[in-house]
Amino acid sequence: MKPEKQDVQPEKQGVNRRGMFRILQAGAAAAVIVPKAQARVAEDQIRYAPKGAYAMLYDTTLCIGCKACVTACNEANQLRPDPGYSKYINNIYEAPPSLNSQTKNIIKLYKNKENTEWSFVKQQCMHCVDPSCVQACPLSALSKGAFGVVAWNGNQCIGCRCCQLACPFNIPKFEWTAVNPKIVKCEFCSHLLAVGKKPACTSVCPRGAVIFGTRDDLLAEAKKRIAGAPGKYFDNRVYGEKEGGGTQVLYLSHVPFTKIGLPELGEEANAAKVRTNSETIYQGGITPLVIYGALLGVTRYFFKEHVKEAEEESAQTGLKEQL
Amino acid sequence: MSSGFGKPNEWRRSMALGGQMLTPAFLIVSAVAALGLILSLWREYAGLGAASGMNDGYSWGLYKNFNVTTLTALGSGGYALGMLVYVFDRRKYHVLMRTALLVSILSYSAGMVSLGVDVGRPWNFIWMGIPWVWNMDSVLFEVALCMTAYVMIALDLENLGPLLERLEGKQFPKLVNEMAHLAFRVVKAVYPFFVALAFILPSMHQSSLGSLMYQAGHRVHPVWQTPMLPLLYLLMAWVIGLAFVVVVLEASCAIWKLPMDWKLLSGIARISGFLGVAWFVIRLGEVWYRGVLGKAFQGDLFTGVFLAEMLMVLIPSVMLASPGISETPRKAFNLLMILCVGGMLYRYTPTTIAFMPGENYSYFPSVIEVLMSLGFIALAVIGYLYTVKRFPILPVPMQLYLRTAEPAVCVKEQIA
Repeated sequence: MKPEKQDVQPEKQGVNRRGMFRILQAGAAAAVIVPKAQARVAEDQIRYAPKGAYAMLYDTTLCIGCKACVTACNEANQLRPDPGYSKYINNIYEAPPSLNSQTKNIIKLYKNKENTEWSFVKQQCMHCVDPSCVQACPLSALSKGAFGVVAWNGNQCIGCRCCQLACPFNIPKFEWTAVNPKIVKCEFCSHLLAVGKKPACTSVCPRGAVIFGTRDDLLAEAKKRIAGAPGKYFDNRVYGEKEGGGTQVLYLSHVPFTKIGLPELGEEANAAKVRTNSETIYQGGITPLVIYGALLGVTRYFFKEHVKEAEEESAQTGLKEQL
Repeated sequence: MSSGFGKPNEWRRSMALGGQMLTPAFLIVSAVAALGLILSLWREYAGLGAASGMNDGYSWGLYKNFNVTTLTALGSGGYALGMLVYVFDRRKYHVLMRTALLVSILSYSAGMVSLGVDVGRPWNFIWMGIPWVWNMDSVLFEVALCMTAYVMIALDLENLGPLLERLEGKQFPKLVNEMAHLAFRVVKAVYPFFVALAFILPSMHQSSLGSLMYQAGHRVHPVWQTPMLPLLYLLMAWVIGLAFVVVVLEASCAIWKLPMDWKLLSGIARISGFLGVAWFVIRLGEVWYRGVLGKAFQGDLFTGVFLAEMLMVLIPSVMLASPGISETPRKAFNLLMILCVGGMLYRYTPTTIAFMPGENYSYFPSVIEVLMSLGFIALAVIGYLYTVKRFPILPVPMQLYLRTAEPAVCVKEQIA
């Protein structure tokens, strides 16, 4: 079959007045999706600590680095102690170098190379007031539960590790060698809290370097310590009161916070910034709907034009139209 | 043939190439894909740590950052070109749509396979069906939902045309023909609704891929970390999505010795160049506006990466956008390749190179990770080689179509 074909009308191309109007419409819709760079956090995106939120206060000037809390944490959470690098080289057992899937709590030593400044530091989940991991978790496996404890629910976790990407403190850890890998992080010993006990690390600390209480009480305690010895603590500041939108683990340090691995975060929670940015773009889902409607209108119009041309050509050539 | 069919090179219809399927190239690509899939099985057994260079600091590796974040931008041609055709009324490019849509569905599907291998507890995906556990604040949730919907609903329907056209061929029973014809009429009726969906969904997830890295806050280098990441990511998807369509079509013409409608293709190349310049201006203005331009020139690794990204976008874009390019397909091909590499580098950098988790963590993809990543890409290439030979995808001039193809039937004879 070799059908003869008549001259086809030259396709109408480019933009006429109506087309221009449609493009402008689309442009106006697109302008909505451009986020404003200066608006950082919307008022309604700010989160506050729940009433009676649990907290820990860690004071570097009291810690003697005995690591009793590390052992207690492992015991309380049924985690096998990680022997650190010795597991690779069959050496004398040593300590894990950092938080990992067997270590929810760790004591590290900071030593300045130039002068004699040093400090111990305890690391564990900060239980942020507005946690990035909870905001990032696609299926709500991480959630901020009673008294503000950030907990992980393995039944809903798909193992995407977005919490690890989002956490400003680098806390959630992943079982990299497991077939059914878990996200591991401090969960405030919720199982002990449930039976009226304190988190393991706070009950064993011989010096009271880490203590348990409500956030309000511990903030007051920390400020009392600062007021009692002005200049003793860095910046006369409690880390976690406002940093990153506030955390439920509070730090007092005699060395700059950045030296012991606590980043300077500003008062806005990154999670709130992300929500604000998304909300600016999506307007609660209205933007995509409006744009879809606009696109549908334009597309239907030009699709009809296309079909008309295709059908004309099909009638002339006897060939099936191609969408 | 009369002149009514257009100029000898003018692309008018899509045609199945036919011909031998099991070529040496196809077998090599299949071997790469098979190796990738075997290693994927091993990954399920041995865990993610053994199969990749990922660790607790760099928790995302090639599977997400390259195969999804970077390569779906390269496969955004169906979306970007569709917008040109149906929103900006550049209907002369419609003949390229099938190729663009095929590239899109293959690149996205390969990305979804990679995503499936990457997640640690895939069986919990069943919760995607339970709305009350959806975290509406989660950027990743939005990406997952929009990407899945795009691949499984919009792209599938958009790609049905060639399949139905083939099923209407005479080699199939009459019943199949009739059902295919009925399906075609349904598709035609609902087409604009799904096409518009195929515009809004990628707009959402391609920009949200940028928001994903915005979540990482201070852990992404300040030159890359910006609230404008969604816009820059989206725009880059348009730029390299369009560029890659031209690359694929030019390469296909070279490989299968098809006549090339360079007049048409150079138009896309030019638009891609204009968008590339626009991206460059916005990016530079944005970095300057936030006052971090100085941090891009401290003579470290980031200076190199920043310059590479910016120049690999700017130089080819300016050259492609300038008028002279329309005479030199080969030069344009090289420029488009550079543009694609530059654009991919930009999409990849915030996820890994400019991502700084601290605490002495470092990341370099392991050999197994690279092989798996290549395997997923090879899957897409297999899909392309198979589909263009068996289904009417690639655009050809009308004379060639009439000379070679009984309509809607692919042929064994060589078309040259």
